[in-house]
Amino acid sequence: MPPTPHTDTDGANESPDATDAAAATGDGNRVTDEDPVDSAALLGSDLELGYGDGAVVDCEDIVVPEGEVTALVGPNGSGKSTLLKGFSAELDPDAGSVLLDGSDVQNRPPKQLARELGLLAQENDAPGGLTVGDLVAHGRYPHRGFLDPLDADDEAHVDRAIDLAGVDHLRDTPLSELSGGQKQLAFVAMALAQDTDVLLLDEPTTYLDLHHQLRVMEVVRTLNEDRGVTVCVVLHDLQQAARFADYLVALDDGAVYDWGPPEDVVTETLLADVFGVDAAVTYDGEPRIVPRRALD
Amino acid sequence: MVASTVAVLVGALVQIRYGGYEMPFETVWRALFDRAVWTNPRILATILLGDGLAQTLGVHRDLSVLTDATAVVWTIRLPRVAVAAFVGMNLAVAGAIFQAITRNELASPYILGVSSGAGFAVVVTIVFSLGTYLLPLAAAVGGTGAFLLVYAVAWRGGTTPVRLVLAGVVVGTIFNSLQTGVFYFIDSNGAMRTAVSWLAGSLTGVGWTDVRLVVLPTLVVVPAALVAARQLDVLLLGERRARSLGMRVETMRFALSALAILATAAAVAVAGLVGFVGLVVPHAVRTAVGSDYRKLLTGCLFAGPALVVVADVVARLGLGGTQVPVGVVTGLVGGPYFLLLLRRTESFNEF
Repeated sequence: MPPTPHTDTDGANESPDATDAAAATGDGNRVTDEDPVDSAALLGSDLELGYGDGAVVDCEDIVVPEGEVTALVGPNGSGKSTLLKGFSAELDPDAGSVLLDGSDVQNRPPKQLARELGLLAQENDAPGGLTVGDLVAHGRYPHRGFLDPLDADDEAHVDRAIDLAGVDHLRDTPLSELSGGQKQLAFVAMALAQDTDVLLLDEPTTYLDLHHQLRVMEVVRTLNEDRGVTVCVVLHDLQQAARFADYLVALDDGAVYDWGPPEDVVTETLLADVFGVDAAVTYDGEPRIVPRRALD
Repeated sequence: MVASTVAVLVGALVQIRYGGYEMPFETVWRALFDRAVWTNPRILATILLGDGLAQTLGVHRDLSVLTDATAVVWTIRLPRVAVAAFVGMNLAVAGAIFQAITRNELASPYILGVSSGAGFAVVVTIVFSLGTYLLPLAAAVGGTGAFLLVYAVAWRGGTTPVRLVLAGVVVGTIFNSLQTGVFYFIDSNGAMRTAVSWLAGSLTGVGWTDVRLVVLPTLVVVPAALVAARQLDVLLLGERRARSLGMRVETMRFALSALAILATAAAVAVAGLVGFVGLVVPHAVRTAVGSDYRKLLTGCLFAGPALVVVADVVARLGLGGTQVPVGVVTGLVGGPYFLLLLRRTESFNEF
């Protein structure tokens, strides 16, 4: 059991109702101007996640506000990806719950969950002979029955996703002929074709060149602004996270260290405490982080 | 596809034309389109359904009215071609499915322990003289048993392709050792020959009974596999991605494995362990049509029969008087094919 004061009172197995959740946030101290629980697309309460022995993530409340871009940041091993796995129901929580639009992600049938919540994983291996168009069409999987062919509606979504991701010119190109960045954009298009209200991305820009890093993040930003899609993204690069996200969640050793708009979260103290880096942080419209040296 | 169909037809003609009972092509032609067979549904029914079933259904007719040539063609040579075609079809489809499930293009239908389980069961059946008519059943039961055992070994709150393959190796090794051990208890030479021809995969002496045995599972497997093609495509995108698309990966993987095992068991039950077909056919088809599973499986439905029918022609007629098991020929064809592929292909990037 975690040492948090209120885990004893709300049992992990009880289905938490609105008052429970409200009470839970009541003693969380990072309430911003709007009530985060009301506007939460994803809400993790008293969450413990791990792989067998010992919790990797153990946090009280974690909120991904609806219609915003939230970035999970933290050093290696701080539990960012694990938390994302908890959000996507890939990992059953050892304790606590993850609510998507107010109901538990674990209790949804897989296809229904996949219609509400998309996940872009880091792993990028697909048959090399597959064309971009075919790949994106697979994004419609959760919307099709076992025997359903691709209908006009599906086609429209595929076209829109390809267009949005800017891979129209690559539509008939097999994946084996794409660069790493183009491939990632193709996978982004596939996740877009899934047409979900919430999109989770696990380090979508790692290993990409600068041009494609920006392209991917711009597509995500556009998706959020034009379609109101809630985005939760794990990012390695704090600077990039601060530029693109509306909210940052800084994780330290499996717990939430700080939560809020980038300018409140990204501070010299955070860099020292969480990342172990002595850095100068300045703001002129957007944050600028100049690391000086690693702290012991 | 056209080439495969031509290969099947030519192979079939050669297979029907030559053999112990000599006849020219003209006779073959006349026998194949013998009006006594085609205009008489009862005779056709008796040939296809067998004496027993035809009698039960009340459509039996004595076959002694047929000419010798027609009888040889219809009751001996044609069923052999049919069995070869069905065996090729099932093994190729099963191989294609297993290659997607394990995401490994070197997977064969035997990768999850089926061959060793079936082989062990067959040798045990022969050693304890339980009756050769039980061999197909023993093969199917042994193969399925080994497959379930592999799943049980690999299961730890779920499976992964790698764990399944490793469990297949473990279970396979154990059954192979047992099988080799039991082999020493075979005392008669005849029994030994039966055992060896089973383990190598042979179509010697198959008839319409075997066609009936293999056709039912095939009628299930082929449509089911074609329907499941899209699931296989999604599974190939990686487990995590398949799950995030809303697939119940574990359930789907088991169901697809079971389907492939059904296909394999059907083939093994009538022909024994014909090697290499399930490995080489999907591979060859993939280099031609790409990894889209609907195209790939359709290709396998044609190329699988082509390989086995032609290989069986060679196995039966190639050495003059002696018949060798068809599995020996498929192995001899498959090995060099892979060698060629290995030397000509620069990278294997389909998967």
